[in-house]
Amino acid sequence: MAVQTSFGNRVFRTLASVKTGIILLIILGVVAAAGTVILQRPVTDADQMTRAYAPPTLRWLDATGLTDVYHAWWFVLLMAMLGVSIIFASVDRFPKAWRMVAHPYRRPEPHFRAVLPMQRTLAVDHAANAVGVAETVLRKAGLRPQRVTGNGETSIYAEKNRFSVLAVYVVHASLLLILAGGIVDAIWSYKGYLMLTPGQSTAKLEPQNGVERPLPFTLRCDGTGQENYPDGTPRKWWSKLTVIEDGRETLKKEIVVNDPLVTHGIRFYQSGYGQTGEVESVVLNAKLGAETRQITLVPGTRAQLDGETTVRIAEFIPDYVTRDGQIYMRSKDPVNPAIRLEISNPAKAKSEAWLFPAVQQQQGDATYKFEFVDMQMAAYTGLQVSHEPGQWAVWAGCILMAIGMVMAFYLVHQRFWVMAIESKNGPALWIGTVADKNREHFQESFTKLIDDIRVELGKENEKRRVPAGKQLVRA
Amino acid sequence: MSRATAKIEQHPAASSSNGLLVAVGLGIAFLTFVAFLSVVKQGNLFNESNLLYLSLIFYGGASALYIGFGVTGVDRYVKFASIATTIGFVANTLAVGHRWYIAGRPPFANIYEMLLSFVWTLAALTLLAERKYKVKVIGTVTMPLAVTSVILMQLLPSTVRPLVPALQSTWLQIHVTLAMLAYAACALSFALAMMFLIQDKMKTETFLASTSGLVTMVYLGILTRFEKWGGLSVVAWDAQHKEEISISKGVKLMVTIPDLGWVFLLVLLASAAPLGIYAWAKWRKQENFFTVANRAVFISIVLQIIALGAFVLRARNAAYTSLDAEGFYPTALAASPFILCGLITGIFASLLYLMLYWRRSDLERLLPTADGLDRITYKTIGIAFPLLTAMIAAGAYWANRTWGSYWSWDPKETWAAITWLVYAGYLHMRITRGWRGRRAAYFAILGFVVVMFTFFGVTYLLPGLHAYS
Repeated sequence: MAVQTSFGNRVFRTLASVKTGIILLIILGVVAAAGTVILQRPVTDADQMTRAYAPPTLRWLDATGLTDVYHAWWFVLLMAMLGVSIIFASVDRFPKAWRMVAHPYRRPEPHFRAVLPMQRTLAVDHAANAVGVAETVLRKAGLRPQRVTGNGETSIYAEKNRFSVLAVYVVHASLLLILAGGIVDAIWSYKGYLMLTPGQSTAKLEPQNGVERPLPFTLRCDGTGQENYPDGTPRKWWSKLTVIEDGRETLKKEIVVNDPLVTHGIRFYQSGYGQTGEVESVVLNAKLGAETRQITLVPGTRAQLDGETTVRIAEFIPDYVTRDGQIYMRSKDPVNPAIRLEISNPAKAKSEAWLFPAVQQQQGDATYKFEFVDMQMAAYTGLQVSHEPGQWAVWAGCILMAIGMVMAFYLVHQRFWVMAIESKNGPALWIGTVADKNREHFQESFTKLIDDIRVELGKENEKRRVPAGKQLVRA
Repeated sequence: MSRATAKIEQHPAASSSNGLLVAVGLGIAFLTFVAFLSVVKQGNLFNESNLLYLSLIFYGGASALYIGFGVTGVDRYVKFASIATTIGFVANTLAVGHRWYIAGRPPFANIYEMLLSFVWTLAALTLLAERKYKVKVIGTVTMPLAVTSVILMQLLPSTVRPLVPALQSTWLQIHVTLAMLAYAACALSFALAMMFLIQDKMKTETFLASTSGLVTMVYLGILTRFEKWGGLSVVAWDAQHKEEISISKGVKLMVTIPDLGWVFLLVLLASAAPLGIYAWAKWRKQENFFTVANRAVFISIVLQIIALGAFVLRARNAAYTSLDAEGFYPTALAASPFILCGLITGIFASLLYLMLYWRRSDLERLLPTADGLDRITYKTIGIAFPLLTAMIAAGAYWANRTWGSYWSWDPKETWAAITWLVYAGYLHMRITRGWRGRRAAYFAILGFVVVMFTFFGVTYLLPGLHAYS
């Protein structure tokens, strides 16, 4: 019975093969594409799903996990298998690549010299001298030639970009790093949302899926606003935030969209902005007879009118409409506000005034006449919160991949060997080279190198006043 | 097959070949002069739209000369076309520069600006391919495309609009620049792979089948908008605000242009006909189907042009009823950029096939060797792939800063990743499995098809966060 490779060995070989990798890539691609065509669960509303698919179809899609492809167990398994395939393929091939880096092939053995595609043999008169000349030429070309001795012979070895041999492993390692970051985030990351009005602070995130998440600090909003372009479209949303720990303010920042607040590994993004519908302050001119006094009303406090008379905001509607004699609130934007003021005086009965700033009207039994000057609405800021511990692995992976790709595509591993040999026509200089990419270009530069060597050899021979060496050129 | 029917090329006498050159030269001079006169009154000579118009004139001249080459085979046309392209490119660069200067940011924020950048990239690639790769006929493809794009741009709102908060980010500029460069490199690799197939002696019939297949897919895509009773749905357009009309957030109002669906259905059948004839002839092992199939291609081109005309006439400035709301709603050509792109692509591909059919021997003479093209395709993908990777990484970083998540499996993100996987597959098959020649070329073509889907298909057919372009 023939010797069988062990089962484990065969499994390893299969998983490490490029074919497996390609098949996994294809399956992943097809499945990922399916996820873009089939409506996915978290982002699509439940009733949109029921409208899009017939009930049996929807049940089947849910059961197979096709409605949440990217989080389905088999998708995660596919990604894991891809990771395993990358690891096995790298482990399988790395030792050979490392041997090239750690133990470069320096001495060109006869069988090597016989089969190397790019080589030349030049007839020379003085072998050792010629080797020296070649060494100088290689050095001038920017390479760092080393002398290799063995068997009583000296040869030259020069190489460039040795580490580019490992480029492929760098790229695949970076992929694994990114995958690892993704896995860490899949398990430990969380997102949330916060709504704050100026002055408000919080130490926890809004409950998501019923889970309330406390923050390791208190976040206070000190202000928020929106700036518009001349044509009215939003230009900027900003919020001033302060981080408070143990009673001390540790961090203050004004954030805008694309520029979050980062603290304790948690990021707060400017995400939304809107009107709460509450008013912050109202400025009015109060007239009684000939006297006019400007007052600022803040909800919850009373403003002094004169003597013992005070006024307060009893009710505020930012945008009202009347229907069937009832007043309703249409929206939270201060389009058509209505303010109910309550004027109190211990000596008299309470009187009331309804103010409609948009039309500058007043109704009610108050003796004072109020004229609307200005008001400040209270806005809220919507902050997106996220904690992604794995992102550092992802960014490190991206940078590593960039390095790996530059090495893989643009750095060429070149090797040169020079040796003095005995050919049938006398002493000769053998020069060989190999480049792992872009061979046509290196064919040309090798030819140029040979020409340079020939020229230098000619000069040497001139110096020795010996006729110039004949050339045996072997293609 | 094609050789039997091709005529022996007689190079036309020098005097008649000068005729086209003189005509084009005069045309350029005349148009430039007229434009200069009308513009000099306004005082502001060097603004973006004037410079763009100037580049349009020169690109138009270049296109005419390249197409002239396509029809007659005279080499001199290519030389002068190259000069015209260069002048047009200079004007285009000035136009882009002017817009950049006025807006304070590179031109990437809306579809008008993307087309402007695209046209610039087309001209740059044409000149690069001619000078560096010595492929002198690539202008036959790129210049007519550039001219069509500039004409299309005139339909779109071109005012420099300030950026909404989410787009105000340096990382966005980086991401979009990388995307343009990556897609341009992929497009170039596609063109090189197609040229390889020509030089690799792939039969003209196969090209016929593929072109017919492509046009059929385009019309099938358009016919997803086919409504009951033969109408075609397009998006409604608010001419006053120069934007689409929405029913609610993210849901656009569609109006139905009556009968246009039948027109497109007819053209679909005509475009599928050559493919059908090809398939039938292969099955029946008939050899003399080729002339019939080519006649079908002519007919389909004529019908495609008619369909384009019909669409332009009916979708230009008219109001139609909607299935979603009561009353009449207007639409404009600016509301249907993808349908227009599809129609023009179909006509374009069909005309390119015709040029191959008529001028194959000339092309084979002017293009580099198959082996050379195979290597250049690989080198181009060696540029495209790192650019794609950097584009995805920059996009992820931008998304992280704006939406708090570097990867949300958004359709555009997912398809960008799939594109990356396809090109990774190409590299693996080539480097590790030694795939060369035909198989590598097919892979490169597949890669570009996926790029096109990522760029157009996702926006047109699938919704998502990437709502900006």
